[in-house]
Amino acid sequence: MVQVLVSLPDSPNQCPEWAIVDLQGSLETRQPVPLGGKFVGDLHFTKQNVPILIIGHHILYGKIVDMEKPFAVIVKDESSETATDRDTDKNTSVNYVVKALIKKKLLFKQRPKPIIANIPKKL
Amino acid sequence: MDCDQNERSLEDINTVLEYAKLELSDVKPTVQCIYFSQQLDNQSFKLLELDDTVLETLTNGEKVVIRGNTDDMAVLCTQTNTFEIKEAEISNSMLITPQLDIGEDVDDSGPQNTKVSKVISVMNNYYELRPCKPKVAKLKKLLEENMYSGKECEEDEQHQGHKYCFEDLLNIVQGSEVEIKESLKKLKACQIEGLWRVLDFDFLTQVLNHIIQLCEENDWLSTGIPLDECLETLGQLFPREVIAHVIDCYANEMKSGGGQGDHDPDDQPMQIDAKFFSLSEDKICQFFAELVLKNSGKFNLKEFLKVWEQTVPQGMRTSLSQLEGIALIDRNCMPEVIWYFPVEDLPEDVGERFNTLFKTREKWSLAEISPYIRDLTTLKVDVGGLLTKYARASMMNGIKVFSSRKPVT
Repeated sequence: MVQVLVSLPDSPNQCPEWAIVDLQGSLETRQPVPLGGKFVGDLHFTKQNVPILIIGHHILYGKIVDMEKPFAVIVKDESSETATDRDTDKNTSVNYVVKALIKKKLLFKQRPKPIIANIPKKL
Repeated sequence: MDCDQNERSLEDINTVLEYAKLELSDVKPTVQCIYFSQQLDNQSFKLLELDDTVLETLTNGEKVVIRGNTDDMAVLCTQTNTFEIKEAEISNSMLITPQLDIGEDVDDSGPQNTKVSKVISVMNNYYELRPCKPKVAKLKKLLEENMYSGKECEEDEQHQGHKYCFEDLLNIVQGSEVEIKESLKKLKACQIEGLWRVLDFDFLTQVLNHIIQLCEENDWLSTGIPLDECLETLGQLFPREVIAHVIDCYANEMKSGGGQGDHDPDDQPMQIDAKFFSLSEDKICQFFAELVLKNSGKFNLKEFLKVWEQTVPQGMRTSLSQLEGIALIDRNCMPEVIWYFPVEDLPEDVGERFNTLFKTREKWSLAEISPYIRDLTTLKVDVGGLLTKYARASMMNGIKVFSSRKPVT
């Protein structure tokens, strides 16, 4: 029997807005190597604010979506471990803190278009 | 390709743009180079989809609590609402980027420049909030573990069960504070010495009978019950909290002053210290019906009506409408019978409720079944909606009746 509190951090600057790049499918590398540190792609915006993502040999056109239901990014608040004193079985409940809010995402759901990297020379 | 995050040059970027057949003039000058963070970790946090009311509650600094056992499904509660928390898995990949400029945040003029943005996590799941009814059936069971029968009985064998204060209930019942308080009110629970108790029926009968007797002796049935005097007189026999509670359940507070409603806003309302209550005819008659039927099995309807009439305080009128949700009448048998059938004892789950109802009686008219499903309605689904979903309508003797859609178990 637990009650776990979810709260915003004490000061508003501790809860920034993050973003999501939403891709259909998953990103893979050719060799099975860890992804940490790897380059993903270039993100451009057209003058009309259409996002364009170039990943490897593909170009993806997307759109900015204002999320109908924003996400809260929640993490366990290690500093708030409390033992509820009324509980005889010493229930320690760890509370959650909202680390960030995500209200917008870049949604790429159109099929990626291949980029021809080498312009074939006429023989 | 392992890239130092500062190494991506404008030259590289523009080459790619050229191959992609995009003109520099088509795009804004800032290019964001996206990299996976060195500390890419897909387990470091959870994504919780926020409902409007939850976001508002959080922003106002009010309490948002997740409640439940490890084996229960967890619920999230604000002060007033309850939501089921469900995990949603998606086939998309959500790249979580803390620092990403979007659309209008990106300047549309100036020299070409780059900015690095890091993906700290790739997520394929999140937690959804679905508004739900608080799971309060448990509350009734908890409070029935130790029903109050009077101070003298508290230490005896039947009263060794657990007793709960509000904080205890919050730890066990999956609902918001306001919803739990509403349920406690519906259960006619009473706070005695800080603990929430339901009065056992026999004890309640004693208390109520004393109050009614006092009313009859003092003609309070017409003038109203003066709360303080009543507490003073009966305070010898029962805890004051209990007396006040019973009066609150079975009587209405009389508003000070003369007529109802037409107050001149400039008039200072007269301050009256003494509170007066008038017994509610409907609630008292309902109570006596319960008293008569509770341990009686099937009662001859004609006889019941006579007995009932005689049992209620003088001057009060009984009416069949007071029996809604409390008793069922079978007019098809000879003689007609009535029996105790309280809605509070029926299952909370909608499917199970309908199953029990149809097991009890094959066909119900709208008037007969409504009192037994009204408590299941929500903002979105009313009695008609419930019947459409869970029952089958047909005509019998010119009246629309409802029966089960599927075989009754």
